Amino acid sequence: MKKILVSISLLFVCSFAFAQEADDLVGVWEPGHGKARVKIDNIDGKFYGRIVWLKEPNDPETGKPKLDANNPDETMKNVPLRGYRILKDFEYKGKGVWEDGTIYDPETGNTYSSVITIKDENTLDIRGYVGVKTFGRSDTWRRLKVK
Amino acid sequence: MNKNYLFLLMVMLLMAGSFPLMAQEEEEEEDWSMFDELELVDETNVKRFAKPTIVGLSPTRFFSLSYDHQLPYDMNLSAARFPASGNSGWGVNEDAPISETGRVNFTGGIRFNSNIPIISKSNLVWQSGLNYWRFGYNIGNIEEQSGASGLTGILNNKGLNNLNWTNTFFVPISEENFFIFQGLLDMSGNYGFSLQPFNTIRWSMAAVYAKRVSERKRWGLGFARTYRVGNLNYVPVVMYDVTSPDRKWGTEILFPARAHGRYNFNKNSLLLFGYELEGQTYRINEFSVGNNSYEIRRGELRPRLELQKQLSGPFWMHFQAGYRIDWTFNADELEGSREFFRGFFGTQDFGMVNNLSNTVYFNIGISFVTL
Repeated sequence: MKKILVSISLLFVCSFAFAQEADDLVGVWEPGHGKARVKIDNIDGKFYGRIVWLKEPNDPETGKPKLDANNPDETMKNVPLRGYRILKDFEYKGKGVWEDGTIYDPETGNTYSSVITIKDENTLDIRGYVGVKTFGRSDTWRRLKVK
Repeated sequence: MNKNYLFLLMVMLLMAGSFPLMAQEEEEEEDWSMFDELELVDETNVKRFAKPTIVGLSPTRFFSLSYDHQLPYDMNLSAARFPASGNSGWGVNEDAPISETGRVNFTGGIRFNSNIPIISKSNLVWQSGLNYWRFGYNIGNIEEQSGASGLTGILNNKGLNNLNWTNTFFVPISEENFFIFQGLLDMSGNYGFSLQPFNTIRWSMAAVYAKRVSERKRWGLGFARTYRVGNLNYVPVVMYDVTSPDRKWGTEILFPARAHGRYNFNKNSLLLFGYELEGQTYRINEFSVGNNSYEIRRGELRPRLELQKQLSGPFWMHFQAGYRIDWTFNADELEGSREFFRGFFGTQDFGMVNNLSNTVYFNIGISFVTL
């Protein structure tokens, strides 16, 4: 009986630690180009990231907020970029790696398979790829904090 | 009275029910300003780099398999001379008489290209690829006069092959500026599975300093050591890629190697129109005496149209049609297989002075591309 209690306690502690690790991804991050900020949230165990800040929020030609004009889906072309969810469906796989997600590039309108690896608590390595991870490109994202 | 009371109660309940809905809507109204006042947790070693591409460009091919086919044309060859073996060759301004003619019914074959990212990060992109091009020949109506070298028969039987290894480095130095370095090794000749001596491997390179002005424009200036028109040459390089604001029109220029205008029908199909210079130096084993290398300097100018269309996901097809203009098909004998530089003004004798009539060609292929 004592062993069972210890096992259950260990299982509980491990699950809690795993969930805590997974939430290391939660926060506001800046991609390598520095032109946007992305807020990543844990929603029911999956991780999603949306644009919350743009260096140039308005279209210089129209003076209005930038839209997702390059989206191949016609119905999405008028959706504002700020607030747009560009990271979707990431699941924590342990050892600082989130997989099975996608990343959307508003500049081209392309969506890539993606994997996120945490390098340290304030730095992410985020890779978008086509098919297999070899055919992709990595970017370094950095954590932001309130001034 | 009861009815009025009930009605009032219903209105109150409805209003009470709607409050949470209104509160939800208010919650969805984001206060974006809260994200203005943020700073990096760790500001050390933060450097931003230019992206390697601009929007609207034709997709980069990771793998490509195509078939190239030239329609019939005439081949006129001089006698073969061996200037490096101690004999005199054909002078650069000499009219070499035709010793051998043939009607080339077919020239072409498969072309496999690869371009695999080895490192692909924001501060460095290194792509490496192995490539193989086959040039099979079918030559009829061969007429040989005294002194004919028999090259038509050799091409007919063995054709030409090119094995290439290309490494490309994209090195950004700031948010706008970057370098592109490219190194190429080529083994070209009429070899079979046993290949040919490694001292006949020829190298080329290019270095370009470039600026990504915006997401729609980049330009660059550089320098290349190239075999693009058969002979070794050193040329300046100009890169100019631009895409119009509506992303319909653009250019893809890496002068002098190639220059294309571009029309994007939509995200899944585009048309390129322009030209490409194509060529290499091909060792002919039968004419290579001792350690010398006897090489055909094949150079072609190809004005063309190319339609690219997405098949599914990262798989695209292309169809290219154009005119193959003979730039050179002359030959040199290289002493000790060592390359020499004739350039535009050199006076070294040729081994052969040949010419090909021009013809139509097409190329069709399938590619695995980056989206």
